[in-house]
Amino acid sequence: MNNTITISQIRPKSILDKSLSKGRGEVSLSCFALLFCELVQYCQNRVYTVPELQNKLAEMGQEVGVKLLDLYFVREKNCKRENKLLNMLLFIKTTLWKGLFGREADKLEHANDDERIYYLIEKEPLVNRYISVPKDKGNLNCAVFIAGIIESILNCSGFTAKVTAHWHKGTTYMVQFEESVIARDKQMEER
Amino acid sequence: MTIHNLYIFDKFGCLLYYAEWNRLKSSGITREEEAKLMYGMLFSLKSFVSKISPLDTKKGFVCYKTNKYALHYLETPTGLKFVLNTDVNAQNVRDLLHQIYSKVYVEYVVKNPVVNLRDPIKSELFKVKLDGMIKQFPAVSKAS
Amino acid sequence: MSRQGTRLDAKKVNSELFTLTYGALVSQLMKDYDNADDVNKQLERMGYNIGIRLIEDYLARTGTGRCYDFRDTAEKIQAGFRLYLGISPVITNWSSAGDEFSLQFETNPLTEFVELPDNCLGLKYMNVLTGVLRGACEMVQMDVTSWFVQDQLKGDNVTELRVKFIKRLEDAIPAGED
Repeated sequence: MNNTITISQIRPKSILDKSLSKGRGEVSLSCFALLFCELVQYCQNRVYTVPELQNKLAEMGQEVGVKLLDLYFVREKNCKRENKLLNMLLFIKTTLWKGLFGREADKLEHANDDERIYYLIEKEPLVNRYISVPKDKGNLNCAVFIAGIIESILNCSGFTAKVTAHWHKGTTYMVQFEESVIARDKQMEER
Repeated sequence: MTIHNLYIFDKFGCLLYYAEWNRLKSSGITREEEAKLMYGMLFSLKSFVSKISPLDTKKGFVCYKTNKYALHYLETPTGLKFVLNTDVNAQNVRDLLHQIYSKVYVEYVVKNPVVNLRDPIKSELFKVKLDGMIKQFPAVSKAS
Repeated sequence: MSRQGTRLDAKKVNSELFTLTYGALVSQLMKDYDNADDVNKQLERMGYNIGIRLIEDYLARTGTGRCYDFRDTAEKIQAGFRLYLGISPVITNWSSAGDEFSLQFETNPLTEFVELPDNCLGLKYMNVLTGVLRGACEMVQMDVTSWFVQDQLKGDNVTELRVKFIKRLEDAIPAGED
């Protein structure tokens, strides 16, 4: 390998020469579950506290989210991104969720007391299927990985928000948008 | 018909899990000692059974019976050992053992990201699913 | 929405979620370690941990017993690829002693969106697989090792994983007994 003389940096067959797959490929659930197990264990071995672990898992989720965003808008929406907040949330609840998990998320709710907050509810997220709900509910929720996916999808499409995962009705993802995002959305509605 | 109790050992003989449903008499020794005794007995019995066998044994030791109870044994190729004590008339216990392995152990221990396989099993979900499976088993139509 | 009607099997998961999750893991390792060699080692180690779990699922699902010989092992490994990744590698290039074979595959969900940048050519992107095989086989008393001899990410036409049998391992005996 080291002895070859490089003439061009470009390799003959680039990944961009291939057409984008339809995204219907499947692998075994066990396969994903075990990869995820190891991902959690790896993160666990490099941190000391549960919040640190959650952050690490969320970061990994964010990495996945960025890529999914492009993938889905190119494939499903003709390269057009949503610009309305509710449509964006619905896109996540339906299109993205169906693609990733084969079904829509269970519920999307708007908080009564804070217009910046939405809840996306999932009774049994894929990543928690094999884990018991901790009694004090304060413990690690591996669904922060999925929260990370949602967060980066929102952030990268201009809806800056913080997304956290909680043990509530199964798992509830709390999406808290920045004030400016809400204000902008209202302006758009008025137009 | 009755299921009395269950032991799960790892390949090194550590007791990963113990549960009882209808155990009427205790052995009078600590759980650890009892587990050690049980594992030692299984180990010896297994090697005895294959040594003394007049035929080429494939499955080896699977079960023994006394006049009061029967001990059923399942060892996976990875060396996990599942031991279930039942009354002498219980049927299809081997299937049940295999179900415990594939539908409960593999699902809620092996695929559980917050469990270390070498540690004793503490998952609540595992316990609930195991209880459910035992109680659903046709042989457990209330202790008679 | 073109996805209507797509119903994922309850025991299956979208391969892109898997591909991208693995990708996120590899890129995390590239951040955590300075050089490709260490990342390769870490991927192998993680694969090993996955392998020792995966074998339980494999045995529970297939109900298979111990292997009769190494050819049997090769076929069971091939079946594993089919079961877990949905691909069927070709078993080929047996050594004359029958202790080494190759698995060749043309596509593979792990590398679906992957192109190695020029500064990562030392990275063995799929090295996790070598660990999975080692871990899974070790749990059923076989010591095997494996390595990539061809890699599509490095410009080869196919990806070839070479698998070698080293030895049979003894059954564990209980502590305190000889």
